[in-house]
Amino acid sequence: MGSPYMYEKLFTLLGHEVITPPKPSQKTVDYGVKYSPEFACFPLKVILGTYLEALELGADTIVTSGGNGPCRAGYYGEAQKKILQNMGYDVEFIIFDEPKRDLKTFLENVKKIKGNNSWRQVIKTVKTVYDMAKSMDKVEKIVECKRAYECNKGEFTKAWHEITEEYRRIESSEDVKKIERKAIERLNSIKICEVPEEEKIRIGIVGEIYVVMEPSINGNIEEVLNAYGAEVERSHYISEWIDFNLIPLPSYKEKEHQILKKGEKYIEIIIGGHAKQSVGAIIDFMERGFDGVVHLKPFGCLPELVSQSVIDKIMREYDYPILSLSVDEQMAIANVLTRIEAFLDVIKQKKHRKRIAR
Amino acid sequence: MKIGIPKALMYYFYYPFWKTLFESLGFEVVTSDDTSKSILDMGVKEAVAEICVPMKVYTGHVLNLLDKSVDYIYIPRFVSLKKGIFMCPKFMGLPDMIKGLFDGIENKILTHNIVSKSTDISEFHNYTVFIDKLGVSRKDLKNALKKARDKWLEFRTLNRQGYDINELLTSDEPKKYDGDITIGLIGYVYNVYDRFVNMDLLNVFRKLNIKVVTFDMMEEKIIQRQLKKFKKNMFWEFSNMLLGTAYEFMERDDIDGIIHVTAFGCGPDSILEPFLTIDSEKHKKPFMTLRIDEQTGESHVITRVEAFTDLIRIKKYKAEKPVEGVI
Repeated sequence: MGSPYMYEKLFTLLGHEVITPPKPSQKTVDYGVKYSPEFACFPLKVILGTYLEALELGADTIVTSGGNGPCRAGYYGEAQKKILQNMGYDVEFIIFDEPKRDLKTFLENVKKIKGNNSWRQVIKTVKTVYDMAKSMDKVEKIVECKRAYECNKGEFTKAWHEITEEYRRIESSEDVKKIERKAIERLNSIKICEVPEEEKIRIGIVGEIYVVMEPSINGNIEEVLNAYGAEVERSHYISEWIDFNLIPLPSYKEKEHQILKKGEKYIEIIIGGHAKQSVGAIIDFMERGFDGVVHLKPFGCLPELVSQSVIDKIMREYDYPILSLSVDEQMAIANVLTRIEAFLDVIKQKKHRKRIAR
Repeated sequence: MKIGIPKALMYYFYYPFWKTLFESLGFEVVTSDDTSKSILDMGVKEAVAEICVPMKVYTGHVLNLLDKSVDYIYIPRFVSLKKGIFMCPKFMGLPDMIKGLFDGIENKILTHNIVSKSTDISEFHNYTVFIDKLGVSRKDLKNALKKARDKWLEFRTLNRQGYDINELLTSDEPKKYDGDITIGLIGYVYNVYDRFVNMDLLNVFRKLNIKVVTFDMMEEKIIQRQLKKFKKNMFWEFSNMLLGTAYEFMERDDIDGIIHVTAFGCGPDSILEPFLTIDSEKHKKPFMTLRIDEQTGESHVITRVEAFTDLIRIKKYKAEKPVEGVI
């Protein structure tokens, strides 16, 4: 949920006028589905829908990232540009690809974004946004754990929404620290109905990064799991993504490399997207004593279909509960709820049997 | 020792290479049967429900080979056939996927990574795994690779001259087919040449007296020239080839229309689609997408091809006919 706010902050602080499209809604999905190729993966459709909404609100430039494949996501920008141009929109696309792919375009893009700011200012802004990402993820992790035990339903979600609004107003790294302190205080003051340690359920969420991180697309899966009394942790957080992909220091990449190593037994090489990471993250969650894993992927996702093929084997091998859900425009909330309920029942049964055996 | 090669996916592009390679090394090569209802059904049953049909077909062929008591099933991992360009992620994870689907199949799989500079996959470093696993000497392997390469280049040369791959693989005296109109057929080899999955599409064209040109019949140079128009190429080698071929077809006058054959759930093709539909319209070239999946029933394929080609014929002959009668 945090990532659009990071970009919004970055460009606002650099003095650009930013149009933040509303959170993906049914309208966004409808737009996207209408104008995207039928078999394009769900994130492409939603993102196209988001662009259309932003264009309606008056945006004239779209900034997005490219990629090196072989996941389709790296080519989204090019395909969406083609579609929007064909629809008659005169919109400028700034697509950030790795500098080594096309250094000239990269530098031109940086120049456009930099505007009239001094380099010093740019670096300061980037640092602020990075701190904001780190801090938001830290607070969100607390929410994902504690929300499972709230006495009055909805308190944490309400608090979290208000906290994100506060974050949107920050201007410097100092603000981030201040808001973080306040946010943690606020979360700690919410009344919690404690559950005995052995009855606590911990679920990991792994899968394709967009559907894992965007609650309005994955049917608010974290909130749903929390509402059933399960603690949740994701395999993707925006700050961790920045650490691994954008910061060229080996010490920042340590965690991701360990996860990748764990996936090596099942998927030998990196095959694009987060397939290997997903499998690694499942093993990681298992080793850390999580009770089960929910695997999310967009319908027809190329890399995640390979990981899904492997997941069955992991389930058999370790007798470990994993629920694989496909996310797309057809996803119905009742279906998801039923499957999650059944999944959690299995986990509870398993835990119960283990306790009795002891 | 018997080595099994599934008759699916890259079989249609590399079989002459693989056959010569393994036979020169002194192994027996066994292929699975032609794709059939039972092979497809087995694949559909075992593979992940959402995956594209070619992968389901491949899974079926692997099962078929297991019944033939082969010592190894050859499942190479195609990683890259050009620097910076990959294959579809499913190809890159193919051995992992098969291992994940079946228990205890690990030691039956013969696999290695293919990282190559071009579609010629005979580079020695890709095959060093064979030395230990199959107990062959470096020298023999090198010789076998050279022989396989020659054979494959010969096959490709004929292919480029306009002989289709099914003719080359199944017949000793391959034939070329002509017609009064020409269709550019855009599609991967395993969709275009698998007679069962595509309801014998090439034969449908033949019966209607239509000539077909496919991407594998195009010169590499032409495809590359077309691809230069793109600032950023796609990440998938064969999708790029289709893209380049399609743009060439759009510009050429001797191609009367373009048909895109794609499998249900094909990811790279979904990205290809907007480029093909939008630009074929701009070039005023008739264009149709034909989607194939595990549902059988050939009448829809025939009906659609007939309707499409009827329109092309009307357009073509009307334009050529001088104005007659009283206006």
